[in-house]
Amino acid sequence: MLFPAALGLGLPLGIGLAAIGSGIGIGFLGKGAMEAMGRQPEILPKLQVAMIIGFGFAEALTIYAFVTMFFLQGRIG
Amino acid sequence: MQTPRPGRSILDRALLTSWIVAIVIAAVLAPSHPYDALSLLAGQLIAFLHFMFLRKIVKIFTEKRKGAGRFILTKLVLVYGGLMALIGWGKAGYAPLCAGFALPFLTLFLKSMMLAFGAGPASLTRRGTPVHRAGAGAGAGGAAALALILLALAAASPARAEEPLPTANGAHGTVTGQASHPQPVTHAAEAQHEEGAAELPNWLVILHDWNPGNPVIDWLDKNQIIVFAWIAGLLFLFISWLAMRNAKMVPGVLQNAVEWMVESMESIAGGLLGEKHIQRHFPIIGALFFYILTINMLGIIPGMKSATSSLDLTLALALITFLYVQFWGIRNLGIIGYLDHLAGSPRDAIGWAMLPVMLPVHVLGELAKPVSLSCRLFGNIFGEDTLIVVFVGATAVLIKASLVALAVPPMAGITALFMMLQTLTSIVQALIFSLLATVYLYMMLPHEEHGHEESNAEAHATL
Repeated sequence: MLFPAALGLGLPLGIGLAAIGSGIGIGFLGKGAMEAMGRQPEILPKLQVAMIIGFGFAEALTIYAFVTMFFLQGRIG
Repeated sequence: MQTPRPGRSILDRALLTSWIVAIVIAAVLAPSHPYDALSLLAGQLIAFLHFMFLRKIVKIFTEKRKGAGRFILTKLVLVYGGLMALIGWGKAGYAPLCAGFALPFLTLFLKSMMLAFGAGPASLTRRGTPVHRAGAGAGAGGAAALALILLALAAASPARAEEPLPTANGAHGTVTGQASHPQPVTHAAEAQHEEGAAELPNWLVILHDWNPGNPVIDWLDKNQIIVFAWIAGLLFLFISWLAMRNAKMVPGVLQNAVEWMVESMESIAGGLLGEKHIQRHFPIIGALFFYILTINMLGIIPGMKSATSSLDLTLALALITFLYVQFWGIRNLGIIGYLDHLAGSPRDAIGWAMLPVMLPVHVLGELAKPVSLSCRLFGNIFGEDTLIVVFVGATAVLIKASLVALAVPPMAGITALFMMLQTLTSIVQALIFSLLATVYLYMMLPHEEHGHEESNAEAHATL
């Protein structure tokens, strides 16, 4: 397979796979946070901060794929 | 706590330490190389005399007493004469002599380095005495934060050369020509002036197109990131100056808004870091948050660009955060405590056995932090910008196909929607950057409430 063709196939696929993982992670985080909020509404502010940090970490994985795509996109040709 | 900064006695203590070290080394060397040991001691003695005479002479000069000439003469004869005599004697090795001579200087240097890291002689083993100076500290911290921001701006400039990112393809690449159509169109059409620019044109690009060959504008266009970072920084300063120009007990609208933002940010970061540390560290955390927020928000204004959509600026900010965190780690834990922290706090046989594995892992983990911080911010902001560009470009394509009435309203709506999303991303990313900086800092700071190791291990496990 040609290198540009492989890149053209692989880069979007890689982002999609990374997005699946991040989506699952963020979904679990959101689910847990919502349940905790429902059970104990008074810890809302603390929970939100922790949740946002968790989102940041989960989302970062897709962003890595995204940044990789930006660096390699020019070589698709 | 330690006594107030040991200013004068540091020379004495450094000389004493160097004597002890010299004697120990000489004692080790003595059985096999007696001459080397002797010359080491001689070098040490000469350096010691040099320091003593220097101090005496400085004292005489500063107190304007008589008799300086006599002392200088004695010093010349004793120190330099002694040195010459030793070298002329021939049996003294040069290397041990130089080593002995350099020993006090080295000790003095190490001592002052330790002082710079914020502790007296106990700094090597010190763990968990929180440095807490509220009033003066906040001011100094603010100044430091400002200096760091300026440093970030300076650091962001060099790598601008690789700025035209290779994203030439896509829908808008096919559109050429100038269109004088409704608003989104002019954006897209102007974007085509620069071949392969995958971003909306900002005022610098437009200015550059109107004045080709002007060296000043050329320079500005080449250094867009730094220009927009400066604009954001100045805007940030201007807003805070405007709000706090005449601060009253009963605040006006702007003052109220700014105070609310600062206070809520402080309470969020304080919830992570604890009451004690937040006063010391809020200046840099708050500066990071508001600076990044201003930069990100600047990109929403048409004709402007968010400087964080370049890896240069985000990497500079992340490196500043990294250095700050490491500095406070060393300062709070002491050098040995810091190394212990890096080694994963080995306390038992298993911990020590795992040391060769844990140390590289922890060092790599520390180094990965700035990379992940910068890539996250850059990826988010740049991705958001690219998204809007793609939709504006699609609008331009539709307009080229003379589907104006059909294309513009929905596309404008979608673009507006993404701009709202961009606002959200801007706030959340600024928050995440500063909160992660807070978390990294938290992992380096000592905690009295419940043992340092536990909370650290917990933090390591979760992050």
